[in-house]
Amino acid sequence: MEAKMQAHPAATVAPVTPAAKPASVGRPANARKSQLGWFVRKLFREKRLGAAGAVIALVFLFFGLFADLLAPYGMNEVDMGARLQAPSWGHPFGTDNLGRDLLSRCIYGAQISVVIGLTVAAISTFISAAIGIVSGYFGGKVDMVVQRFVDAWMSFPGLIVLIVVASVFGSGITQIIVTLGLLIGIGGSRIVRSAVVSVREDMYIHAAKSIGASAPRILWRHVLPNVIAPLIVLFTSSVGTAILAESGLSFLGLGVPPPYPTWGGMLSGNGRTYMLQGPWLALAPGLCLTLVVYAINVFGDALRDMLDPRMRGSR
Amino acid sequence: MKMIRTLLAGLTGMALATVAGQAMAQADTPKYGGTLDVATTSTGVTTLSWDLADWQATLQTRDTGQFYEQLFSVDLGKAKSRGGKYPFTISGWQPSDAIRGELAESWEWVTPLVLEIKLRKGVKFPAKAGVMPERELTAEDVVFSFNRMNTSAKKTQGYYDHIDKVSAKDKGTVVFTFNKFLADWDYRFGNGFFSGIVPKEVVDAGPGNWKNVNGTGPFMLGNVAQGNSLTFVKNPVYWDQETINGTAYKLPFVDKLVHRVIKDEATQQAALRTGKLDILSSISSEAAKELKKTAPQVKWNRWLSTSAARVALRVDTKPFTDVRVRRALNMAVNKQEVIDKFYGGEAEMFVFPMHPEYVGYHTPLKDMPPAVQELFKYDPAKAKKLLAEAGYPKGFAFKMQICTCNTEQMELMPLVAAYLEMVNVKMEIVPMEYGAHLSAMTSHTNGAGYLTTIPDVNPTTSLRINYGKGQVYNAPMWDDPKFDARVVEALGERDEAKRQQILRESTAFILEQAPAIWMPAPYRYTAWWPWVRNYGGELFVGAGRNAPIHARVWIDQDMKKKMGF
Amino acid sequence: MQTYILRRLLALLPTLFIASVIVFVIVRMVPGDVVDLMLSQNDAGSNNLTREQLLETLGLDKPMWKQYGIWIGDLALRGDLGHSLWQGDSVLSMIATRLPVTFELGLLAMVIALSVAIPVGVYSAVKQDAAGDYIARSFSLLMLAVPSFWVGTMVTVFPSIWWGWSPEIHFMPFREDPLQNLKQMLIPAVILGLSLSAITMRMTRTMMLEVLRQDYIRTARAKGLKETLILTRHAVRNGLIPVITLIGSQAPILIGGAVILEQIFVLPGMGMLLLDAVNQRDYPVVTGVFFVVGLTVMLINLLVDLSYGLIDPKVRQR
Repeated sequence: MEAKMQAHPAATVAPVTPAAKPASVGRPANARKSQLGWFVRKLFREKRLGAAGAVIALVFLFFGLFADLLAPYGMNEVDMGARLQAPSWGHPFGTDNLGRDLLSRCIYGAQISVVIGLTVAAISTFISAAIGIVSGYFGGKVDMVVQRFVDAWMSFPGLIVLIVVASVFGSGITQIIVTLGLLIGIGGSRIVRSAVVSVREDMYIHAAKSIGASAPRILWRHVLPNVIAPLIVLFTSSVGTAILAESGLSFLGLGVPPPYPTWGGMLSGNGRTYMLQGPWLALAPGLCLTLVVYAINVFGDALRDMLDPRMRGSR
Repeated sequence: MKMIRTLLAGLTGMALATVAGQAMAQADTPKYGGTLDVATTSTGVTTLSWDLADWQATLQTRDTGQFYEQLFSVDLGKAKSRGGKYPFTISGWQPSDAIRGELAESWEWVTPLVLEIKLRKGVKFPAKAGVMPERELTAEDVVFSFNRMNTSAKKTQGYYDHIDKVSAKDKGTVVFTFNKFLADWDYRFGNGFFSGIVPKEVVDAGPGNWKNVNGTGPFMLGNVAQGNSLTFVKNPVYWDQETINGTAYKLPFVDKLVHRVIKDEATQQAALRTGKLDILSSISSEAAKELKKTAPQVKWNRWLSTSAARVALRVDTKPFTDVRVRRALNMAVNKQEVIDKFYGGEAEMFVFPMHPEYVGYHTPLKDMPPAVQELFKYDPAKAKKLLAEAGYPKGFAFKMQICTCNTEQMELMPLVAAYLEMVNVKMEIVPMEYGAHLSAMTSHTNGAGYLTTIPDVNPTTSLRINYGKGQVYNAPMWDDPKFDARVVEALGERDEAKRQQILRESTAFILEQAPAIWMPAPYRYTAWWPWVRNYGGELFVGAGRNAPIHARVWIDQDMKKKMGF
Repeated sequence: MQTYILRRLLALLPTLFIASVIVFVIVRMVPGDVVDLMLSQNDAGSNNLTREQLLETLGLDKPMWKQYGIWIGDLALRGDLGHSLWQGDSVLSMIATRLPVTFELGLLAMVIALSVAIPVGVYSAVKQDAAGDYIARSFSLLMLAVPSFWVGTMVTVFPSIWWGWSPEIHFMPFREDPLQNLKQMLIPAVILGLSLSAITMRMTRTMMLEVLRQDYIRTARAKGLKETLILTRHAVRNGLIPVITLIGSQAPILIGGAVILEQIFVLPGMGMLLLDAVNQRDYPVVTGVFFVVGLTVMLINLLVDLSYGLIDPKVRQR
């Protein structure tokens, strides 16, 4: 789990070299709509794997959003008479040791994963953007101080931060989301910063500055478009990282507490205890988790390939 | 011709039988040597300190107990596996007729408050390089150990107030001078948690350093791989013997004893299956079911856990100030279904605060007064009625704090909450991290509902520590001077039968008052391979110690090889 | 360059100082202090007398700033990180036993990660978007998407049932018994390494793709230079970047431990040391570990940043 948390921010995107030009600068607004259409078409035509990933992720998103309507049983409907039943027509994914329907719990698990994944991704992307842009754009002393804080933060094993937070503030979904958002966000700020730094070098900005454009305008028109690509990639990989991180936390007893079903919690709890009596207890949430993380990552890869200006127009 | 053939067949048969018989007898002859790999109960953790003056209970006694011995232990000859009647699977208490002197050979009360203990002769401390040469145990060692515990900065205040002094009458006699009689005098210094005999040389060399520790026990500490294993080696001059088939054998049999430190249950069980563990001491009933299928040759023993859970209800907080509410909650939970369905039948209804193994102190449920029995019968209608009577016809909500570390209870509590929901009581489960959860109780700031499992103690201590005013484990905040007085009375009662009666009555009383939702206690299992001989699943000789048990185990190497390990 | 290094090194000090204060304070603010936990061990009841005595013995009755002063003083003057509150052991000796284990696991994992990631990444880049690329990347991503505790559990449980084999659980330091040591380390290292390889593979692939598109490659191809020669010459230089990035980003694991794998494979590493210490509220151990891990990681990151400058000339000019 820690591997994914530490690794993803710095390593998923190659250090952007100063030679790269911001791609979408200067395009008129009404071209954005066709941009989306072009984007989707290119995805399905050239990046089939990424397209498949996007579709899978959307399916799970759909289930997560409409869990209350789609789940045949409640999230926590105990039925001691129906313990540990293998998959059947009545219970397509089987039941767990308290007789709860596994399909319903997996659907609700999707809901929680969506919540955790998207919220953490939003928080972390925002933090990465904020820190990265401020640090990269203003440079100098500001950059130095901020980067030292980032360094200090990054040197803490993330797990221990989570444990300390759990001890002080209790184990709950909010605490997990905030902490994961912070950890992933601060780590990702380095990428954003290097993207901003590369733009800063660009003559365009020097030109704009010399004309007298204000800092916010420069940030908005020149810097932001160049960092959108890495931010989008960061966003997608954060979703996967957050879901995986929560599963690791569940294993250590620090995840979202019962009765809320998270895939990670189901996998590390009942999945392991009843691994031999009821393999479906592990297979169902495990497959959901692996499939979603895989799909998101594959989609993120395709996105990055397509958004990376050096890739475009080269084939 | 036929007669000769028959004769020959008969002779051959007899010859074979004799050889087989001899082989069997050979197979039953204990052999020395080998290594015993054990995962003890609480295998995931090792002692946090090697110095007894740090006053750390269970784990310390378990680990240091391999080399630090005590005045009293138990007679393992009385174990069920050897034809006796005691399973020896509870930690904090030993039945009085099973007590055997360990370092003490005999003892008598010369006056009602003066106890003379004659020490065993010929007990030696083995030589330890850089610490001490080999020498005999003397009364001075006992006096020294007691005084060290008594003057430690980390001592539990008041623990030895009943002792005036401990002195050495001569080299082999120790005299305890009490100022009052306490029923658990032997538990406090004798066969309890803080009773190890440490030689002065070890203290001089540095008692906290594992490389210095040295005692009279069957094993010496060979190596500490922190977080992975403790390796003990045979004490060459150990005093105790075991008689098997009429022959006396010096102990221990094995050359090495390894305590494995494995936190993860799946890893523990895999290690047992593949013979990397000889004994796995604590297995859940679910896992045992599976292990029986995947490791069919393994031998089993079932025992009743002392860690029964109770959902403590703070009697000083509304609505739990009203006994009717507390009793109602007990009746609202279908405890029989919990036993049948959640534990698969592998649990007992009534285990706490008097464990069934506290022989003489424990009253079976069927012999309890009706008011107590009622609490263990599922009766939601009556529960609703009581709640309405108490002024809560629409029910109420309360928060229950539970430790995230207790995975089994984390699973069980949603079920309990579901039962309570049916009588309109909403129990909100509040998971807390281990340290935060524990300290909420010890600092008496725990919530209205608090789930706790209780430590292994003895019959007297059990009531005192859990329901005495201001006591550490008194999560319900029970404050009852009359109850306290009765428990103190029991503590001072010399006559065992009278003591048992007082405690039985007090137990029935506290059960009826329901300061907690009483929950069933699960059975657990111990598993060991057949080549672990002279072992029947015993776990403790008292206060977390298991050294004498493992000292009596011998490894049948031939059988092990034949089985393919 | 010299001044840059010097400035960065000097900047380490205030960073460490701030980090150490934060850790020191937070750990002591966590509810449930060590005295509560120790008292729960004593079965005859706690009263204020015992509590006060324990606080004094442990040196916890002093105000927080004084405790910090003592700690930092010991550290700066004698390199003494203090002693565990539960055991007598010095924190430094505890770390000294555990750190090599963690480091070895991390190192093995990285070697495995790189030996899988670089060939796969290069192959993937050369065959971009072909079936081979998809398969290679899929496998790699799969290793990333399956939680490590699950792989660990399966590897531990199923072979023990099917083949009567389970991973080694007896730990021997590498110096004493390298074979036994490696036997135990191998499987967790492979699991960790494979999940790391996904990330590195991506990076390698991206770098290779960039290399393949550079104009002078096109020119070289046009001139007729052998494909392999071009690839090799640039692969080495650009291949180092993912390696160094990996080291940098995985430094906390290299030093701080992988708790989950340590738990399942019974490895006495830094992760479990820290986890246990936090659970037991062993403040000196927690602060000590944070400090050592933090310092080492910061130094590693500094080295990583410097080597970026050495390898990629475009980064250097700032």
